[in-house]
Amino acid sequence: MKSLLRLLPFLTQYRNQILAGFVAFFASRFFEISSYFLVSMGIDEIAATYSGPLAEDLVPIVSPSGYSILEISLAIIVCVSLRFVFVVFARRAIRRAGIGVSYDLRQRLYAAVQLQGTDFFSRIGVGDIMTRAIQDIALVQRLIAFGMIFFVIMTYAPLFAVSAMLYKSPTLTLLIIPLLPVIFIYAYRTTKQLAETSRAVQERLSDLSAHTQENLSGIRTVQAQAQEENEIKRFWKTNDQYAQAFYDQARINSLMMAWMPLFASFSQLTIILYGGYQVMNGQMTVGDLVFFFACLNMLLQPIRMAGMFVTIVQRAAVATNRLFEIFDSEPEIEDKPSLKTPAIIRGEFELKQLSYTYPRSNEPVLRDINLHIRAGESIAIVGRVGSGKSTLLKQFTRLLDIGEGQLLLDGHDIRDYPLSQLRSQIAQILQDPFLFGEPLRSNISYDDPERALEVIWDSAEAAALRSTIEGFPARMETMVGERGVMLSGGQKQRTTLARGLIRNAQVLILDDCFSSVDTETEEHILTRLKTMRKNKTTIIVSHRVSTLRHADRIIVLDEGRIAEIGTHQELLRKQGLYADLERVQTEGGSFTDRAAGEI
Amino acid sequence: MTDQMPLTEDDHDHAMFDAELSGAVLNLHLLGRVVRWLKPYRSGLVVSAILILVASCSAVIMEVVISRVLVDYIIVGETDSPMPDLGMIELTQWLEAQLGVEAIYAAGLIFLVLMLVVAVTGHLHRLLLVGAIVNALRDLRQDLFAHMETRPSSFYDKVPVGRIMTRVTNDVEALYEMLRGMGSLIGEFVPFFVALTIMLSTSVELTLILLLLVPVVGLATYFFRGATREVFRLVRNSVSSLNQNLQENLSGMQVVQLSQREQRNFEEYTDINKSNRRYEYRSINLATVYGAFTDSLSAIGLGIIIWYGAGEVIQQEMSLGGVILFTRFMNMLFTPVVLLGEQLNVLFRAMASGERIFQALDWDEQIHEPANPKQLPDRLQGKVEFRHVNFAYSPETPILKDVSVTIAGGEKLAIVGATGSGKSTMIRLLGRFYDFDRGMIFLDDVDLNDLHSHDLRSRIGVVLQDFHIFSGTILDNIALGNPGISRERSIEAAKTVNAHGFISRLPLGYDTPLVERGSNLSQGQRQLLAFARVLAADPEILVLDEATASIDTETELLIQDGLRKLMTGRTSILIAHRLQTVQEADRVMVLHHGVVAEIGTHEELLASKGLYYTLHELQFQDVSGEESPFPD
Repeated sequence: MKSLLRLLPFLTQYRNQILAGFVAFFASRFFEISSYFLVSMGIDEIAATYSGPLAEDLVPIVSPSGYSILEISLAIIVCVSLRFVFVVFARRAIRRAGIGVSYDLRQRLYAAVQLQGTDFFSRIGVGDIMTRAIQDIALVQRLIAFGMIFFVIMTYAPLFAVSAMLYKSPTLTLLIIPLLPVIFIYAYRTTKQLAETSRAVQERLSDLSAHTQENLSGIRTVQAQAQEENEIKRFWKTNDQYAQAFYDQARINSLMMAWMPLFASFSQLTIILYGGYQVMNGQMTVGDLVFFFACLNMLLQPIRMAGMFVTIVQRAAVATNRLFEIFDSEPEIEDKPSLKTPAIIRGEFELKQLSYTYPRSNEPVLRDINLHIRAGESIAIVGRVGSGKSTLLKQFTRLLDIGEGQLLLDGHDIRDYPLSQLRSQIAQILQDPFLFGEPLRSNISYDDPERALEVIWDSAEAAALRSTIEGFPARMETMVGERGVMLSGGQKQRTTLARGLIRNAQVLILDDCFSSVDTETEEHILTRLKTMRKNKTTIIVSHRVSTLRHADRIIVLDEGRIAEIGTHQELLRKQGLYADLERVQTEGGSFTDRAAGEI
Repeated sequence: MTDQMPLTEDDHDHAMFDAELSGAVLNLHLLGRVVRWLKPYRSGLVVSAILILVASCSAVIMEVVISRVLVDYIIVGETDSPMPDLGMIELTQWLEAQLGVEAIYAAGLIFLVLMLVVAVTGHLHRLLLVGAIVNALRDLRQDLFAHMETRPSSFYDKVPVGRIMTRVTNDVEALYEMLRGMGSLIGEFVPFFVALTIMLSTSVELTLILLLLVPVVGLATYFFRGATREVFRLVRNSVSSLNQNLQENLSGMQVVQLSQREQRNFEEYTDINKSNRRYEYRSINLATVYGAFTDSLSAIGLGIIIWYGAGEVIQQEMSLGGVILFTRFMNMLFTPVVLLGEQLNVLFRAMASGERIFQALDWDEQIHEPANPKQLPDRLQGKVEFRHVNFAYSPETPILKDVSVTIAGGEKLAIVGATGSGKSTMIRLLGRFYDFDRGMIFLDDVDLNDLHSHDLRSRIGVVLQDFHIFSGTILDNIALGNPGISRERSIEAAKTVNAHGFISRLPLGYDTPLVERGSNLSQGQRQLLAFARVLAADPEILVLDEATASIDTETELLIQDGLRKLMTGRTSILIAHRLQTVQEADRVMVLHHGVVAEIGTHEELLASKGLYYTLHELQFQDVSGEESPFPD
């Protein structure tokens, strides 16, 4: 519950609005009870004019209130209208505050996740963050919009109803009140019970979905084993359990729908018996009786919602905790430039005893890497899955922070550079060819959407993408679909390549960007790259000897260590891992193209 | 080539399974079809309908007791008013006389009985109604599942599982919403008409004046729906672009950070967030006005009743109780109208769902079974023959081209080849998962097309790469519900294929429950379990698509040994990925782009230095423990 207090700062800017809402609710309740009061006055007026069967002789009519029926009727309409206006104003004010807060929460969340790195995303997955952004924020919004309204109704309604009733007849009021806590406790317990059964329904439903999903995904096995009949029988169990859970929930719901009016009827019975007597004795009027019935309604309505209110508060408290877990996360990569670093990066790296271990893991991924990359040099890295290639590359742009050891860029610690400088002067293309659901043009020129179209075409050309794009009817404006689903794997890779090349950065880092590109095209791209990247540092990860051989030096990584280093020729002579790889890939020939690509 | 097409292909356009259906708003035919599933529960529905009638009448009579008996008869002393009292005054008088109590207690007693009747009958009505609907839809879902379960592979190749899922879950849910909604509408409209009858017989004019408000409510609801539909659409769209934007940025966060796009993307998100807020504001403006309007309607009615009723009472057209009765009936008049407006949306949504469900139920794609299937002998010899097999899933891309091979009873044939060479298709055809022409595949010289697919499949034990573990215990998963397989036989089978070791180490041994897909078992353990399953069923023919995933050496050795035992005395067709497996086969067949490129013993093929030789060098994982230099 305490976590809800943390929402207060989000509410401050809406406090006037919320206060106005509270006041308006107060007014609306006042006019509501006034209209009931007027109805009872009207009925008493009617009762007074009513001669009845016994009053044969003309009795001069004395108006008990001194107002005519028309005046009272008009007053009722006025009260109803005023209530209408205030209710609209109040609900609107508070619900607007709810919308506003959820807007602010979303902004805060977005800003928070942008500062996060790999560790955060492995701790709280994308799906989980989405759930928090969608469901948890909605829960907080519900708390503010509906929870507050409930709260107000629950405070004002009994306040007005009980005081009005006390004014009319204290004894009758005291006879009705003891039932209220009973109803409250019943409502509260039933709501809890309902929450439980609805959780059961949800669970059975997800069982049902999972069962269907699993079964249909394995349909071939099911049919191969001739298990259809058994599976249909087995499904019956899951299906029936769900139906049962559903029925249970409906039963409890129905029970509540029976009990609530029954409670109300008990109070009505009290009013009939006691109130009826009072009227006959002349201590109350018929109008008072009707008024009591109306007040009863006003009193019981919010009590029914009590359980719901508790649930809303509880769920919102959990949601708030989950949201603040994101807001409270410190940015993973500290951006604290020393201001003594050069403004232009030349591209010389020096790795000294560099080791890296992922958080919550014992096994280092990189172990004591010592390497000197000269400015303008081209370096190729090869190694099996899990040998640490991608981890190593991510250190160069500080997607991961340096673990142990040192990484110097042009002689300065890489952490002394401003992050923005590092990432704008070092272009890195990641292994996963991620594209945004935007036109090709924006995807290629992602870092600077205002670039001239010509420049974008040039980089497409360099990535051997020009003819492909020219083949699309919309050319550069082609929408690539979510995550680039409209493109083939190779096209996606070449697009991300173009996205990196367009920046013409002093340092270019390519993480296995050719795996889906055929060797011929790759050869073509690499040849162009050689001239483009003259005197610029290029680091490239690949599994193909045909790619690796172009580099000035090749590094073979094995279990986080540099196993071999040297030129293509040097490594071949060494007869080590690289030489093995070369032999396998060249002997395989075209038949094994695919297999080789996977190694 | 076309005559080799699977027959199912031409008959079905699978894109249709996804398509927006007719979109007809009111499809009564659809309702008629749902009735079929409700029929078995009709007695419950009839009783439920009677109960709601009783409940509504009692609720209405409760109001009559308050207004006519309490106010008119007891308080005012009016007995001979022309207004209806449904015999309640007489009943009160009778009770007074019988019990010797004051009239007010007699009235209280009637009220007490009525309120209990309302509570009990109302509850029973809801139980019976929901029970009938829930059961009917459970049956519908069961039929739907059973139907889907028996659709052939060609169907599942084209239609994603997710689409079928939604039909089994969401669409059936929507039908529930509709039926339940219709049920509760009846629950609101019955009292509406009962109250209306009483009101009409009390004062026709006043009733008609109040009824004039009903179209006002109806129109208000209609216009509100119209106005909100557009706003809600805008809200929904902006919410989904909010989510899409966030999702995309989260997934591509590293690219965003590397491209220094944080600020710009944040601004983009802010724009969407702002427009979402704008639409949300607009939608609540409408919603609050509409909500307060329907709340206030009955209160406006009150003013009218007081004003008009007073005149009637003075002219002795109405009694005081009559006026009070009207004030009490106001809600019964408006609630169902408001509810109806809200239910319409549910109804339309359910129509679409119903259409999707019945489309799935009507989908008649199936594997063609022989009209007079041949019976296989109790024990097969196990000879399998592929005779000039040509096959394609779609006309442009033939998968198997003139494949001929005869596997003698008890022979072990290993099939090797690159992905897409047609290996899996051969297995699928052997299990008759697709229709193909007569005269292509024979089992003990019987054409496969002359056999019922069930009969055929019970003779072929298939172990697929991605094999399926059914939820249930280990034992259930070995015996697969076959009553012919005893517990002893299952354990025996597990022992033979080396699965006994890990099973007996599990907390409950053979009775350990497994979750779907066996995620509480390792890859290797699942493989061993699959072996035990096949061995227990004891089919004459074994088909194995060897798993490619790397497994620790120790388990790997157990698997190899288990497989050896499994193959003993069985015709075995193996899609092999491991050197060991190939070496143990009697013959090796190399498939290359759907053509039998080489066939012979391991040694022969190695010696010929052809495709098999290169494949051998590259693709096979040596299980002796040495890893190839750069495994995948």
